[in-house]
Amino acid sequence: MQRRAFLQTVGLAAVAGAVITPSMALAAEQPKGANAMGLDAALKAITGGKMPTPSDKVHLKAPEIAENGAVVPVTVEVDSPMTPEDYIKAIHVFATKNSNVRTLDAMLTPANGVAFFSTRIKLGSTQDVMVVAETSKGEFLSAKQSIKVTIGGCG
Amino acid sequence: MADRKSLIKIKPKKYKTGEVVKVSFMIMHPMETGMRKDKKTGQIVPADYISDVQFLFDGKPFTTLKVWESVSTNPVFTVGFKVPGNGALTVTYKTNTGESGESTKKVKPKG
Repeated sequence: MQRRAFLQTVGLAAVAGAVITPSMALAAEQPKGANAMGLDAALKAITGGKMPTPSDKVHLKAPEIAENGAVVPVTVEVDSPMTPEDYIKAIHVFATKNSNVRTLDAMLTPANGVAFFSTRIKLGSTQDVMVVAETSKGEFLSAKQSIKVTIGGCG
Repeated sequence: MADRKSLIKIKPKKYKTGEVVKVSFMIMHPMETGMRKDKKTGQIVPADYISDVQFLFDGKPFTTLKVWESVSTNPVFTVGFKVPGNGALTVTYKTNTGESGESTKKVKPKG
């Protein structure tokens, strides 16, 4: 029993150490990117304080396990008629644990015909990728997917 | 590097007026985050990334992208596009270091 308790404490300490050290090392050695921004701040800048609602209309396609964090293909498609009355105004992509969570904002118009966007992004570590779609009616729809990164792609 | 290689691709290759196609813009760019160190000199490589991309058809913008460091090296941006007819598709880009450029492709729908 003592052994178990001991192992648990050691294990916890190790986990805590693993979590803290990289970020501390980063802060000490490397300057944070000039555009470093947290997820909350970035979301607030876009939605103006509104919380985006998770929706089935937003389809986020990304690998569950990315072997190379430097190239992670991300595809977003939003169900929308894309008419001048009702279309997707913008698609925002966030990598929730990168030092600058903002990855890309795509401003769309009805001329796109389809609310589709695809690119390849860098992920520093295992994290969630979040997509927020802004409709012309002022709604914010979101989707999230966790991506396991084997080798980080930042820095 | 003013003569950066960039390319516009339209998929599928054959399309008609009114059809929705996928337009890809590819560009050779290192996309430096400003956080990477040069292994030989130990100096931090300054940030150099594409910050703005605009897709235009006959001079009218239809998609604007705001881009930050987290996009991969040699990025590819793909958007949907409803073909309105014959015309020229132009993509312009700007980097955070002030560099800019553009690439053009003719849109020739069949039928």
